[in-house]
Amino acid sequence: MRWVIGALGIGLLGWGAVLLLPVALDNPFSLGGWLVGGPVLHDAVLAPAVGVGGVLIARVLPKPWRAPVGAGLVVSGILVVLAVPYLWRAYSGPVTPGLHDRPYLAGLLIALAVVWAVVVVSGLVAGRRRGNTPAAS
Amino acid sequence: MKPPVRPPQETDFTSPTHGPRVSARIGLWLGIAFGLCFATGLLSHGIQHPAAWFTWPSRPVNLYRITQGVHVTSGVAAIPLLLAKLWSVYPKLFGRPVVRSVPHALERGSIFVLIAASFFELLTGVFNVAQNYPWAFFFPTAHYAVAYVATGALLVHIAVKLPVIREALTRTTEEPKPATGALSRRGFLLTTGGAAGAAVLATVGGTVPWLRDVSVLGSRSATGVPVNRRAEAAGVSTADSTWRLRVGDAEFTLDELRAMPQTTAELPIACVEGWSASATWTGVRVADLLDRAGVPAGSAVRVDSLEKDGLYRSTTLPGTHTADPLTLLALRMDGATLTLDHGYPCRLIAPSRPGVLQTKWVSRLEVL
Repeated sequence: MRWVIGALGIGLLGWGAVLLLPVALDNPFSLGGWLVGGPVLHDAVLAPAVGVGGVLIARVLPKPWRAPVGAGLVVSGILVVLAVPYLWRAYSGPVTPGLHDRPYLAGLLIALAVVWAVVVVSGLVAGRRRGNTPAAS
Repeated sequence: MKPPVRPPQETDFTSPTHGPRVSARIGLWLGIAFGLCFATGLLSHGIQHPAAWFTWPSRPVNLYRITQGVHVTSGVAAIPLLLAKLWSVYPKLFGRPVVRSVPHALERGSIFVLIAASFFELLTGVFNVAQNYPWAFFFPTAHYAVAYVATGALLVHIAVKLPVIREALTRTTEEPKPATGALSRRGFLLTTGGAAGAAVLATVGGTVPWLRDVSVLGSRSATGVPVNRRAEAAGVSTADSTWRLRVGDAEFTLDELRAMPQTTAELPIACVEGWSASATWTGVRVADLLDRAGVPAGSAVRVDSLEKDGLYRSTTLPGTHTADPLTLLALRMDGATLTLDHGYPCRLIAPSRPGVLQTKWVSRLEVL
């Protein structure tokens, strides 16, 4: 079973490389940058930032607030990533009627406000629940 | 006294959000998202560049709307899943020695290829949905090729890790580890699911009508039928009275088309970029036009536009679609004469067909 999956994978990989070769020859730097950029930015910038953020949260925040704030930061980060192609449009085509014409910055801010409202409520609920347990008194 | 500064080691990462139990679960979700993305992507490619053996049905009318909606939505959901998956295995980046053996080197290399191809597909995908192209290559060719690379590398990864995955997913008891960062293992899994849900909710209204107002990061407005390419951009101006529709060897004036039996149907425009919009179209059945022109029923035709150039000025309409009574040359949209931006004097609207192939400003149907 493993060998079948592996062989199929190597076949698809090879076919992808064949299809990609002309693109790589035409635009080596643009393609290479987009291929290598993801792992490099993730390993060198994003993941360390997440790690430091987690440590800081655990050191600074009281226990009931750690999970809500951590989760809120994760969800916020994802929403910001999804908003980037709409907010930074240096390389985009013209905006046409009905497409890409939403108020994206306002929309992002509203979504973030909803996320952080949930964070605050979750933190307060977790704090109260903790306050009610005998162990905490 | 300050501890000596040194690079991190694998053992420094004590959080329960790392390790096979988390990794295998998120990997399973991510594998499903990638599988859906790859399958629906191949379908969309097949419809636009059909091999001789490939046929795509014209019913249900929403079929392409659904497959392409799934393509873009599963890709969006895969972004938080990929980041969570990488976080769960991040300590392994610092495993030493860097390379233990030739198989180990190959495995690490294949994982680099997998991660590079995965980020490439997801990031270029969301930029393309926004019609934002900060690159020099042609998106469809690159996105299609790298899809095979990503899927192939994923299968290699699954083959290598199958015993670890199986153990991690079937083991039921393990001592609970306290959270050393912000989140416990369970909290991390819930957060990942929540982030994927939020990402979908923020974008899926581009194709799901009742979420249109909720999806603040959707690609289309909350109302109206979007225009992907304006007449001005296509270099098309309003056709005058000399305009004729040529069908095979026959010719029709606009008045003749208006005098023919009209069919009204609600059909979606479903864009390759994942948005869709339904409208009520009124016009002449392509099957009727072919019949009037003496063309055998169910013939494939090439649809030409008044557009002088552009990738989609000429498209192929397969026999399955020309025979479908809902395939129309529309003269009206939502009760009004087509505007120039929507394709005046007439446009193709066929069920279950990518939006880029719903040719506007039609001038000719040539029998193939």
